[in-house]
Amino acid sequence: MAAAQAKTAKAGATAASSADDTSDDALYPIAVLIDELRNEDVQLRLNSIRKLSTIALALGAERTRGELLPFLTDTIYDEDEVLLALAEQLGSFTSLVGGPEHVHCLLPPLESLSTVEETVVREKAVDSLRTLAEQHSPENLERYYVPMIKRLSQGDWFTSRTSACGLYSVAYPRLTPAVKADLRKMFCVLCTDDTPMVRRAAAAKLGEFAKAMEQEFLKSDLLPQFFALASDEQDSVRLLAVEACGSIASLLPKDEIEKRLIPSLKSAVEDRSWRVRYMVADKLTELQTALGPDLSKNELVPAYQQLLRDGEAEVRTAAAGKLKDFCNALPPEGREQIILNNIIPCVKELVNDSSQHVKAALATVIMGLAPVLGNEKTVEQLLPLFLIMLKDEVPEVRLNIISNLESVNNVIGVRQLSQSLLPAIVELAEDGKWRVRLAIIEYMPLLASQLGAEFFDEKLTALCLAWLVDQVHAIRDAATKNLRRLVEKFGLEWAKQTVIPKVTELSKAQSYLHRLICLQCIRNLADIVGREAAMKLLLPILLTLANDPVPNVRFNVAKTLKEVAPTLEEGVRANQVKQALQKLKEDQDQDVVHFADQALHTIY
Amino acid sequence: MSGHQDLDRQIEMLRNCEPISESEVKALCAKAREILVEEGNVQRIDSPVTICGDIHGQFYDLKELFKKGGDVPETNYLFMGDFVDRGYYSVETFLLLLAYKVRYPDRITLIRGNHESRQITQVYGFYDECVRKYGGVNVWRYCTEIFDYLSLAALIDGKIFCVHGGLSPSIQSLDQIRMIDRKQEVPHDGPMCDLLWSDPEDTNEGWGISPRGAGYLFGSDVAQQFNDSNNISLICRAHQLVMEGYKWHFNETVLTVWSAPNYCYRCGNVAAILELSDSLVRNFIIFEAAPHDLRTGPTKKPQPEYFL
Repeated sequence: MAAAQAKTAKAGATAASSADDTSDDALYPIAVLIDELRNEDVQLRLNSIRKLSTIALALGAERTRGELLPFLTDTIYDEDEVLLALAEQLGSFTSLVGGPEHVHCLLPPLESLSTVEETVVREKAVDSLRTLAEQHSPENLERYYVPMIKRLSQGDWFTSRTSACGLYSVAYPRLTPAVKADLRKMFCVLCTDDTPMVRRAAAAKLGEFAKAMEQEFLKSDLLPQFFALASDEQDSVRLLAVEACGSIASLLPKDEIEKRLIPSLKSAVEDRSWRVRYMVADKLTELQTALGPDLSKNELVPAYQQLLRDGEAEVRTAAAGKLKDFCNALPPEGREQIILNNIIPCVKELVNDSSQHVKAALATVIMGLAPVLGNEKTVEQLLPLFLIMLKDEVPEVRLNIISNLESVNNVIGVRQLSQSLLPAIVELAEDGKWRVRLAIIEYMPLLASQLGAEFFDEKLTALCLAWLVDQVHAIRDAATKNLRRLVEKFGLEWAKQTVIPKVTELSKAQSYLHRLICLQCIRNLADIVGREAAMKLLLPILLTLANDPVPNVRFNVAKTLKEVAPTLEEGVRANQVKQALQKLKEDQDQDVVHFADQALHTIY
Repeated sequence: MSGHQDLDRQIEMLRNCEPISESEVKALCAKAREILVEEGNVQRIDSPVTICGDIHGQFYDLKELFKKGGDVPETNYLFMGDFVDRGYYSVETFLLLLAYKVRYPDRITLIRGNHESRQITQVYGFYDECVRKYGGVNVWRYCTEIFDYLSLAALIDGKIFCVHGGLSPSIQSLDQIRMIDRKQEVPHDGPMCDLLWSDPEDTNEGWGISPRGAGYLFGSDVAQQFNDSNNISLICRAHQLVMEGYKWHFNETVLTVWSAPNYCYRCGNVAAILELSDSLVRNFIIFEAAPHDLRTGPTKKPQPEYFL
């Protein structure tokens, strides 16, 4: 510590003196920053570290290398927050130390940072080291970078060996064959490390190292390590091997995968730890891509069936969520048969699963099968399942189905929708949970365009109007916006016959909250029903409500007049509207006065 | 007009659960004091109005309340105290209600609950929350000074008497409440204390000792007598958790309204508000806690002593 402080003092003093030398005020802040690198207050040190590039720029490349970096290498006894900022900064320091030929001088501080106890700091340091690798020349890579990997890989403490695992793949490709062989050997040692943390890091980096490696060595050196990790005693290691399995499979020819990887994959699907099985379900689509169509069909389909029937709800949830992607990615030839014979039977069980999370996950993707199966099979196989889920006791399940109805509609068309799904929708429209009702309302404009006015009137218009007087304000509010979208679709005549009579009725409602909804309808409708209808049918309502006994209604008349004024004729604006607002401006309630005044200001 | 713009901006921030600055709190409280000092101990309110009970810093549930009941100023509101303590967001909750009060004094009425007190807030969370969020005690001091100015009760259309706790053996008529000098910390006993602390007792007549250590238990005969002599049809109060959100007592002469769903984030109760129409038609609205995805979690771990 003492040495560190002496060095900072030196760096601080020299910077300060250089400020004196040039008598340039611009350098003064730099001196302060350097000074603050050793301030007692963490926050100040942190600020200073975050502006490290400014300091380095001011010091110049040579002094950054000679003074700043040695000092920083010593500061790694600081708080984790400061170290994290430092680890991040150094990754983009190449130009500040004089370009790629000097980049290796950034390695010592980052090497120290990759050994600290705090994981976040270590990971950031490794990130920076990975960035810097590609800026090294091949010679410097062997001279400085590889020895560092070696030191870290042989460190006493697991932290340094963990960090080392992340550096192999970035250095490997540009090395000479002899050094490459060394690296492979060292990595294999890490894969069999005594500490699970290190094996975990090795398993996590196995895939990317495999991609950087020549195929012959992949088979001879790395595959045995993969098998060992895939059958590790720790489940946290085994599950990382599942991820590596995908990467490795994408590098091997089909017969090799079949012979060597499939057995590992099969044992992962049957692993005694659910976390490993979960990982397979989670990575299913990646594995599918890596294995190719034939192997997916023959090997992954049975595995997927097994996962869909797993004993743990978490695994089933992850597997159910992959339904659409998995089926879509099956080879088109024979896909329908596989879905019908192998997948659908499992899905049928999941529809009645005991876990709501499984059902909710299934509900978001099950509709995605409709385009794959086509009209007839959708009606025959899927529709019954949709209907069961539409009646599920868990609202989330129902909502997820409803919000994905579109893809089904494209396949089976309006007729089927009306006969089978509408009753369920109507039931949901009156659901006790207001957020379910809200979701249904948002679906109405879409239904309107699919069903047409006549059919919509028969089944759904009454619901849309009933929502205007729902107990819940948010529903009433959404209902007014929905009306606007319906009138946009069905036109003025429809509005005159169905909507405007209801709006007029609401203006006489007993509760002021309903009269307020009448005003909100008018705000939403005025511009789309056109000038004539607005003046003839809506304005009279406004002028009547301007005399309402409840002030809340009166100031909302003012607010509404302000908004609808542009749709009205000039003459009407200048006369009736102005008179009404001027009267409201003399109201005894101050809010009425305020909003009337605001309206008058805006309109005139 | 410029004052309104500032206030509207603060309301917008508070509606997003972002606390306003300490100097803004100070200015807001100064304006609130000017308005509250003019209100009576028994504040007169006209119908229509929506009556709400305890909120206790459950900000996201207050937003749920507004979603179901409508926003200020469109809907008129009466909040019967206990805005603060226990929940994670007492600061934002109280300041939002206070900002509404300053912006729309005729649209919202706030009366005092037993938690609007210096002593109680130091034990049940509001004090700690202020210190945590503002790094000092000033905001707590401004807010507790405002507590002293809150009305003790409200009277809707002369017929419905609203108070946080209940009745007091020292009070027979509304005029006696009007005589109290309310601008003080809630006393340990006496009429002002009782109004904020008492509870109805369904099984006994007359007066009883309250297990709370402040206020009294009052029976149906006491309520009936008070209503008759003051020409009142209903006593509406909060103060007690009721699992169904609201509860009638004494043949519908006393009503408890509770507006903190899943109280303390763990009680599993529903909440209620009571909409009174222009002609005093009653409509109870029941609501549940806001769904989890609509909340942002507390930035720091809650003080463990909240729940001890």
